[in-house]
Amino acid sequence: MNAPVPNIFADAVDARSLPDWLSQRRADAVATLRTQGVPHRRIEEWKYSDLKTALEPANDSIAATAAWSIENVPTGVTLFDLADLSAAPEWVRAHFGKAAAAETVPAASLALAEGGFALHVARNAVVTEAVRVGLSANGHVRALVVLEDGAGLTLIEQQSAAGAFRNTGVEIVVGANARLTHVRLAQAAPNNVQIEDVAVRVARGGLYRAHLFTGGAELSRLTLRMTLKELGANAELSGVSVLGGSLHADVTTHVYHAAGETQSTQLFKHVAGGKSRAVYQGKITVAKGADKSDSRQTAKALLLGERAEADLKPELEIFADDVKCAHGAAVGDLDADSLFYLRARGIPEQEARNMLLRAFLREAVDDVADEAIRATLWQSVEDALPRAMVSAL
Amino acid sequence: MSSAARDTKKQVAELGEKYKYGFVTDIEMERAPKGLSEETVRYISAKKDEPDWMLQWRLGAFARWQQMREPTWARVHYQKIDYQNAYYYAAPKNTPKKQSLDEVDPKLLETYNKLGIPLHEQMALAGVAVDAVFDSVSVATTFKAKLNEAGVIFCPISEAIRDYPELVKKYLGTVVPVTDNFFATLNSAVFSDGTFVYVPKGVRCPMELSTYFRINASETGQFERTLIVADEGSYVSYLEGCTAPKRDENQLHAAVVELVALEGAEIKYSTVQNWYPGDENGLGGIYNFVTKRGDCRGDRSKISWTQVETGSAITWKYPSCILRGDDTVGEFFSIAIANNFQQADTGTKMIHLGKNTRSRIISKGISAGQANNTYRGLVSVHPKAANARNYTQCDSLLIGAKCGAHTVPYIEARNPSARIEHEATTSKIADDQLFYCLQRGIGQEEAVALIVNGFCKEVLQQLPMEFAVEAQKLVGISLEGSVG
Amino acid sequence: MLDIKNLHVAVGGKEILKGLTLSIAAGEVHAIMGPNGSGKSTLAYLLAGRTGYDITQGSVTYRGEDLNTLAPEERAAKGLFLAMQYPVEIPGVTTLTFLKTALNAQHRARGEKELDAMSVLKFVRKKAEALKVSEDMLKRALNVGFSGGEKKRLEILQMALFEPKLAVLDETDSGLDIDALKLVAEGVNALRSPSRAMLVITHYQRLLNYVVPDRIHVLAQGKIVAEGGKELAHELEAKGYEHIAGKAA
Repeated sequence: MNAPVPNIFADAVDARSLPDWLSQRRADAVATLRTQGVPHRRIEEWKYSDLKTALEPANDSIAATAAWSIENVPTGVTLFDLADLSAAPEWVRAHFGKAAAAETVPAASLALAEGGFALHVARNAVVTEAVRVGLSANGHVRALVVLEDGAGLTLIEQQSAAGAFRNTGVEIVVGANARLTHVRLAQAAPNNVQIEDVAVRVARGGLYRAHLFTGGAELSRLTLRMTLKELGANAELSGVSVLGGSLHADVTTHVYHAAGETQSTQLFKHVAGGKSRAVYQGKITVAKGADKSDSRQTAKALLLGERAEADLKPELEIFADDVKCAHGAAVGDLDADSLFYLRARGIPEQEARNMLLRAFLREAVDDVADEAIRATLWQSVEDALPRAMVSAL
Repeated sequence: MSSAARDTKKQVAELGEKYKYGFVTDIEMERAPKGLSEETVRYISAKKDEPDWMLQWRLGAFARWQQMREPTWARVHYQKIDYQNAYYYAAPKNTPKKQSLDEVDPKLLETYNKLGIPLHEQMALAGVAVDAVFDSVSVATTFKAKLNEAGVIFCPISEAIRDYPELVKKYLGTVVPVTDNFFATLNSAVFSDGTFVYVPKGVRCPMELSTYFRINASETGQFERTLIVADEGSYVSYLEGCTAPKRDENQLHAAVVELVALEGAEIKYSTVQNWYPGDENGLGGIYNFVTKRGDCRGDRSKISWTQVETGSAITWKYPSCILRGDDTVGEFFSIAIANNFQQADTGTKMIHLGKNTRSRIISKGISAGQANNTYRGLVSVHPKAANARNYTQCDSLLIGAKCGAHTVPYIEARNPSARIEHEATTSKIADDQLFYCLQRGIGQEEAVALIVNGFCKEVLQQLPMEFAVEAQKLVGISLEGSVG
Repeated sequence: MLDIKNLHVAVGGKEILKGLTLSIAAGEVHAIMGPNGSGKSTLAYLLAGRTGYDITQGSVTYRGEDLNTLAPEERAAKGLFLAMQYPVEIPGVTTLTFLKTALNAQHRARGEKELDAMSVLKFVRKKAEALKVSEDMLKRALNVGFSGGEKKRLEILQMALFEPKLAVLDETDSGLDIDALKLVAEGVNALRSPSRAMLVITHYQRLLNYVVPDRIHVLAQGKIVAEGGKELAHELEAKGYEHIAGKAA
């Protein structure tokens, strides 16, 4: 048994009285904190995001609980406040905290958060009105979203730029043939550390769709772990990161095709200006026997600054042969031919570059079906572009 | 083809049998005392009759090694190596070599024939003194004469240390520094064999250089050290390895290969290796911690690595190119085949430092049986590396439902004018492809070999002719029994 | 309008144009014909100001100005239009948006009033009809998924919209069938005017049946090797480039 690794999270763990159904889960999470410690750059998965160093100045937020707010709870959706765990309904007891012990970051939010929210959508209830949740302030916060079979929901998660440190731990259960559209908006938060772990489980024929806008932070890390557990489960991810200054944004995804006929697609576009750093790590695992699975992934980055950096690591781990898997990653500059074409038609260079830059990002936003969400995502891009383009070429 | 392949497999297994029961040595060995200490280093240096500066270099490395900790290898489990419980130097005593092929085990010759290994190589493999077979104008002598004419130096590294000390001193350790990694440091202290090549300015080396033509060809050492220097405007193609199963009583190999290409020079380094596959349970495969690195030191220089590897070997470091000069080119072409319970782990690093540098990576991994194939690559563009270009293509072919393929590419770009493209695909041998071949009368195994060769074509094309033919056959044999 | 004197141009360090001299006045239509590799596209790109095309000797004067000092967008604003041989596809930028941006950029550069979206649309629609550029094409991303003919028609539409003083058409006929060719030629002819000059670059004589030039120049190995009236095109068709170039040598 290895000696416990001293770290800022483990030190903050306090004794708590919890309902029986949760104590073991929390204990497991605490054990993870003690054995794994805070990730740092020598851990392969955290190579480009040294969380340990970023958290070094110890501060009160490490043991605090962040705030959450939901404006509207549409019909068909049940909201449960996780502050009062003793009154937890069955659907919370069945799922909450089960996926947390796997890694330090979710383990920390489970062990240290004293609040959060849980959403439930009943069987076959297709909710058309989106649920908007805002996350703010310092500390850890948990969330649980459970969609019963055939349910449908759109969740818009807005991460506030304020708050020196925030760790959001989300668990999502998508029932058979259910559909969840998860939109996450995180505007630039320089000087802050924002980490989030989202663990998703998709059942037979279910769909988890995510659309992400990431503006970066001093250290920003989003880990999306998806398990396509049963036949025909799908995941569709798209995202854009628009960074400038010294912002950092790490989007790490892991899609696990556990069963056959599962499909996943990913499209990520990153723009890094100034001396920012855009990171994308996309791992796809196809389990033995997960025949007829289809997995596609594209990640592209554009560097606008002499000191900007893009790190892409698309990873494939395939154990079944009757599958279609492809991934592509590219880093490049704006296409010279396209630039010339626009200029030759009278469009001044800077304007031409702006057009092409937007065209580059547009692809990752265009496939969002809902017009309103598309517009919101695009607005975030427009707001972030000026900073990305400062002192660009 | 099929029955021949079956026979070969049987013979290889038999060789393995012999191996399992404790290697029957018919060669007397001269060994350093067991263990690794300063004395061992001195012993080796003395045996090699080295000048003092070389001994000092080794001792410096040894001192460093003692401070270092062995790295833990996450994906592989092997028994902890007891560095004190091994011999660090073994050389055959002056044993008379066989005088002709008649003295060699005919079964062994049959194997070589089926693999299509040329006669002279067979002899070298079987330990026949090349000179003794031919008349005065032996192949090897003509070879050496041609090289001398061109001014090319090609000899064992121990000879180079004695005869060309200035050259060796100038370049040794400049691509893989002594302190680079645990195994390179170890190698620097105790290396005993290896190749040295120097090609003078503007010379295009008149023939492909292969290890078996090395005069005083000895058994491949545990700690080989190779240094190839291509001076301005020169060209050299070097071949390493052979298709006969590489068997060795040493489980651990820690070799270092350094390539230096000066302005306008080109080095082509090809490796065809058939590692000992290990037993039926996949245990006993060779751990090959090779540090292979090429430095495109001068502007407009080019280094290409081509490798075809089958069997079970876990490599620690990957053939890399440092694109230091402007307008330099680095290439990596690889076929890695793993069958049964084998594990293949290959990859490369392309480091773009100069301006207008280009790199190309084509990796083909074939997994069958219950094998696992991993590609690990790094393409790194430094902030000052303007206009860097990279294209990477990683394809995995999975034969059967029980094998695995793992691709882990790292792309790190720090200059906005860089253009890096990476693509990876996974596929299997389609039923209709197979059926088409069968319907046209091509047997199952041959069909697989045909399709797989097609899959690997891009890489096979990079190999020098003689190697390419052998490699193709090797591909077929390695996939024996993988389909059906 | 355009005055080229002893022009030497190098691309990637290699000299392609080796002393080209040519003059075009307003109202004239000139054709440049030549075999592959003669430098036709090099001339076209050089005139439009593409990076990588360097003048090593000689000069190009456009309406009294040294062209070399002007950036591509400046040349466009000053009335120079290049219809490209391979129009680029730009996903994510709709055709209409592109047209509006370019039109207004040019107006702005000339100190003229910019047009609002509605006016642009009206303007574009009017000209688009004649060239059979559909409403759908205007809404799609620029050139994405367009056939060869559609791409060329869009190039000519742009020419009609920008109303250039000097139009350079680089192998506008390549890849077109007879019907598409006729349509494109009609569009080009409709733009002939006493204040406009055109330089039609082509490999085949076919286009010149429909867009009849005032003068033909034969470009071979980076230089003009023969000149003549429109009959020269037929002579070339009958006897080939080598013969004509040989004659001049």
